[in-house]
Amino acid sequence: MKRFLADINKYREYAVYSAKSGLKAEVADSHLSWMWWILDPLLFMLVYSFVAIIVFGKGEKYFAAFVFIGLTSWRFFSATIKQSVRLVSRNSSTVSRIYMPKYILIIIQMLINCFKMLISFSLVAGTMVIYRVPLSFRMLYAIPCILVLLVVTFGFSSIVLHFGVYVDDLTNIIDVFLRLVFYLTGIFYSIEARVGGALGAGYATLLLRGNPAALVIDSMRKCLLYDMTPDLPALGLWLLAGCILSAFGVRMIYKNENSYVKIM
Amino acid sequence: MEEKNYAIEVKDLKVRYRCLNKISIKKSLFKLKKSNVEIFEALRGISFNVPKGEIMGIVGKNGSGKSTLLRAIAGIFAPDEGSIDLNGHTVSLLSIGVGFQKKLTGRENILLSGMLLGFSEEEIRARMSEIIEFSELGKFIDRPVRTYSSGMHSKLAFSITAILETEIMLVDEVLSVGDAKFKKKSFKKMKQLINDKDRTVVIVSHNSETLRKLCNTILWLHDGVIKMQGSTEEVLPLYEEFMS
Repeated sequence: MKRFLADINKYREYAVYSAKSGLKAEVADSHLSWMWWILDPLLFMLVYSFVAIIVFGKGEKYFAAFVFIGLTSWRFFSATIKQSVRLVSRNSSTVSRIYMPKYILIIIQMLINCFKMLISFSLVAGTMVIYRVPLSFRMLYAIPCILVLLVVTFGFSSIVLHFGVYVDDLTNIIDVFLRLVFYLTGIFYSIEARVGGALGAGYATLLLRGNPAALVIDSMRKCLLYDMTPDLPALGLWLLAGCILSAFGVRMIYKNENSYVKIM
Repeated sequence: MEEKNYAIEVKDLKVRYRCLNKISIKKSLFKLKKSNVEIFEALRGISFNVPKGEIMGIVGKNGSGKSTLLRAIAGIFAPDEGSIDLNGHTVSLLSIGVGFQKKLTGRENILLSGMLLGFSEEEIRARMSEIIEFSELGKFIDRPVRTYSSGMHSKLAFSITAILETEIMLVDEVLSVGDAKFKKKSFKKMKQLINDKDRTVVIVSHNSETLRKLCNTILWLHDGVIKMQGSTEEVLPLYEEFMS
């Protein structure tokens, strides 16, 4: 833990600068440059709203905002985990020449994805204004929700990063797995209403509490759109689980990271 | 007991490479028997100390473990057995650089590399113009590194590690950088860096002339073990005789 904090402090400047340059480089070659940071989530959301509203028919109250919150959080979660699988080999030119704790690479990726998530959430805010969603102090619960999302994502990513070095086809497996989880997360539908209605409330609770992405998304919707208090005990438990996963992942990376170079 | 001021202390160092270590779930499903992992021992238990301020050359035929040793000292490889103690000194691998992010510009890469070497943003910015000037890249410094020729690439790499000085410098193959003019310049710079009495330098090279000019002592590696260690005058002639 002490080493982790010392390293975070030591490489903080590097991570932030690296994330900034990474973001710049992403749009440097395109004609619309930084506009893509807004256009990308906007277009993505339009497509999914079309699918949701036209194909599935009318859904929940404030439906576009409902879908946007789900998509924004999900994209952060799944993109970071997916990128972590090949993170070490993608950075082999740096990693094979100088030492750095390898989870710093995850943090850089998370900073980049966080920035995109922030833009995406401002679009969500815009949608909420259009819908005239009433303001409430419960909206502040979104902050602990984001915290849980960050910690859990880091935890999963650190474990996936380690195994990604050794297992060649982990990308495929993670891909399929995340796709499955995507449909179980209730991006276009309310788990409570649909699953609860069809199979009983017990299953809905199980799906929500067992899947951190679903729990975070459901909680965000509750506090941002419907003026409700989210499932705080479940969020607390996932925060704890996220911390344990992170501690486990970071330990594993520290223990094995120097042999990563030999395998690449 | 006599207290010696060592910059690098290597004790019984072993580094192994595991060949075929990557696994694929698809393959392992069809092959339940554990596959035989081939292990190659690049360094087979070597011990030596480098006093502070010394310039040590490492020689040996290809595949004798020279580069592995340098990388292990730089902290890129962990020892499988044994230990390496740098007594808290900062270290950098000169000439091959820190590794660049190809999408970013030369300038951004200078900052990132410098930060990885343990310098603060201000320290790097203060020496930025010196690095750019030394690298002779001109306008290219603000273009993405992927547009660089291999010569430009290594010029930049050399300039960063040469201008941002660390206490221990590891040099892999001196003078393999850039064109004739840059080679001359980098050799001069290297000599200047090496002659600093506080700096400890480890040089890997096949060029006996260079080693004779620069080094105080020579470590001769052969198949992952130390064949000989001593002063340059003592070891180098024997090594040359062995290789001819």
